[in-house]
Amino acid sequence: MQFGLQKGNDMIAQLQKVAGAAFVVLLGSTTLGSAQTVEFWHSFGGESGEALNQIIANFEEANPGITIEAQEVGNYNDIVAKLQAAIPANRAPDAVIMEVTRYGLFADRGVLIDLAPYFDADPLKDELYDFAREVGVFEGKTYIVPFNSSTPVLYYNKAIFDRAGIPEDAPLKTYDDLLAVSQQITEELGDEGITGIAAPGQFARWGLIMDNDSDLIDSTSGEILIDAENTIEAYEFMASLVHEHKVASPDGVTRENDGRDAFLAGKVGMMINSTGNYGRSTAALGDDLVVMPMPCNKVCAVPIGGAGIGILSTSEKEVQDAAYKFVSFAASPESNAIWFSATGYMPINKATPQQPIAADALEGKPGIDVAINQLDFARGRPRPPVVTWMRASEYDMWQAMALGQRDVREVLTEFADKTRAEAERLEK
Amino acid sequence: MTAATEARPVTRASHPLRKTRLLRRLTPYLLALPLLGFIAAFTYVPIASSLNLSFREWDFLSPTKPWVGLDNYRLLLDSREFWNAMKVTAIFAVISVPIRLALALLIATRLMSETWVSRLMRGALFLPSVTSTVAIAVVFSWVFSTDYGMMNAILGWFGLGKVYWMQDPQIALWVLIFVNSWKQLGYDIIIYLAGLQAIPTELYDAASVDGGRKFHVFRRVTVPLVMPTTYFLLVISVIEAFQVFTIVDVMTKGGPAGATDMIVNMLYRVGFTLFDIGQGSALAVILFILLIALAVFKSRVLGRKVHYES
Repeated sequence: MQFGLQKGNDMIAQLQKVAGAAFVVLLGSTTLGSAQTVEFWHSFGGESGEALNQIIANFEEANPGITIEAQEVGNYNDIVAKLQAAIPANRAPDAVIMEVTRYGLFADRGVLIDLAPYFDADPLKDELYDFAREVGVFEGKTYIVPFNSSTPVLYYNKAIFDRAGIPEDAPLKTYDDLLAVSQQITEELGDEGITGIAAPGQFARWGLIMDNDSDLIDSTSGEILIDAENTIEAYEFMASLVHEHKVASPDGVTRENDGRDAFLAGKVGMMINSTGNYGRSTAALGDDLVVMPMPCNKVCAVPIGGAGIGILSTSEKEVQDAAYKFVSFAASPESNAIWFSATGYMPINKATPQQPIAADALEGKPGIDVAINQLDFARGRPRPPVVTWMRASEYDMWQAMALGQRDVREVLTEFADKTRAEAERLEK
Repeated sequence: MTAATEARPVTRASHPLRKTRLLRRLTPYLLALPLLGFIAAFTYVPIASSLNLSFREWDFLSPTKPWVGLDNYRLLLDSREFWNAMKVTAIFAVISVPIRLALALLIATRLMSETWVSRLMRGALFLPSVTSTVAIAVVFSWVFSTDYGMMNAILGWFGLGKVYWMQDPQIALWVLIFVNSWKQLGYDIIIYLAGLQAIPTELYDAASVDGGRKFHVFRRVTVPLVMPTTYFLLVISVIEAFQVFTIVDVMTKGGPAGATDMIVNMLYRVGFTLFDIGQGSALAVILFILLIALAVFKSRVLGRKVHYES
């Protein structure tokens, strides 16, 4: 993936802007007749929420007839649960942020509209990177336009590494490397309540499974790989960090954010987490934060995460038009640059890196480009309806394995069987 | 009065006195109607709706809700998760309710005096009852955190090792029982105080004249006469124990590995995170029947022994 300045493409960019403006005017002609309010559900608080509010303010300034009523309704899981309950109650929003693996069920059930009529006519379609465009496609149709894209990365605390006597160039490529460094930190600094690594959260677990040349569900064939040998091996390694080697706190198993919070508080040496945590990690650790690529245990592979914005089929046509204008604006280079520089989520628009604010971030924020550089071996993840069920159920399985309560192979075999049965039920 | 009206015959139905009587009879019902409508809309209709959904397969999103008969009930009764949730909920209720009631009664008897210390203590003990359950659960999550929590820090001062409060299946449920009891104890105490104050002092005077020791007075006078309050608290507490959700959801989400997975937590998980509203509704119906059965059982078995009046 090339993020050069692409100065030679200025003319094309200008033409795209003119075409974009014409498209927006055309779309606007159908909506500006009356003021529209778009209810928009999202999952961003803190610094991310502030960046989103800035994008919304910019949009409303550029589109005086449209008001975006943004509501933070919780994390991705909460959004799924609340949306599910809101739809039969006729209280669904007009636009919603949906995690890239969990919108398939809503697309399948006709809750989200096919954005093709808007997207195909929008120059944005060609401005997006291939990976970003792909995350919105389910069964050949586009249901979400990406807003925040991420891959997991390896964060470490340089001060903890120094105090534990770990050199800066210590290898962090394989499972064994991770274990060795984690053990050294725990041995050297365990008395101070510092542990080697945060128990991996679900996104990190998926990444470590991919690094072991496997997956949970094959993204092309849809085959369930939960009980594949390499998946079992990956879970055995991750679980052993907690219950066997005791280099990861069990607190992060029962409450996944505890591991991240402990890392931010300087109580954990390493953390594998979304690049979307870059902003808060630099705010917490400052110059002590180092960002590294994901390990490559058997292969180099990372999952693409994040979310996109979908539009609800229950909204009025005029509101859908207004909502799409916002969706398109949020993915524009200007908005995406604000978002990228504030949060660390990856640029999704090819023109984003040329925006001054993004260029400054790439220049002055060390490690913010690590996720971008991983895109060469990043993989989209499957999004059939069963993924939502699988991800909701996986937490309990992980707890049983990580806390040493059940055998990893037994758990995953049973879980794979249940997932296959559920997939069959959902397909009926 | 005109001649025409004078001539009109006064029938039984139109008799003014009869109309007044009818209005008087209807008035209470008319006054209750808005409240009955409210209760019907927000209680009875949802109950009927849940009952209907429990015989259907639905994920909130599909336009159709196919009838599946008793399949949802059969699947639940066949599942290990359901029986685990039943067991965990029963243990939670059986352990937490008696401990709470016994502690509350003991503390209430000590707070009967009208000193400033007693008044302060009543207020202090009641505070958790009016504090947000979510806030309490979040705070206790950190108190019982294995590596960063206060409890293990205190144990560490005494040279004791870490306890996996919320990760050990043998311990996690006890933590929830403790937190829930801590929150509810103040309410129980206040209700007991009201019950204790209703006991005639002459009975204590008579017991004192008869030379009764404190423990015997407590056992023979206080406990029997406060039985109506105990019965009321028992009914309320058992229902509350079977419906506990917030503390579980915030602190453990039913984990580790199902060790604290109670019925309402399972209901939420099945219905709202696993998209099976049919099974979720079936679980709600089972819980409803269970609570009714418990209430009837308590009324039949204990109810008669509660009141001393004829």
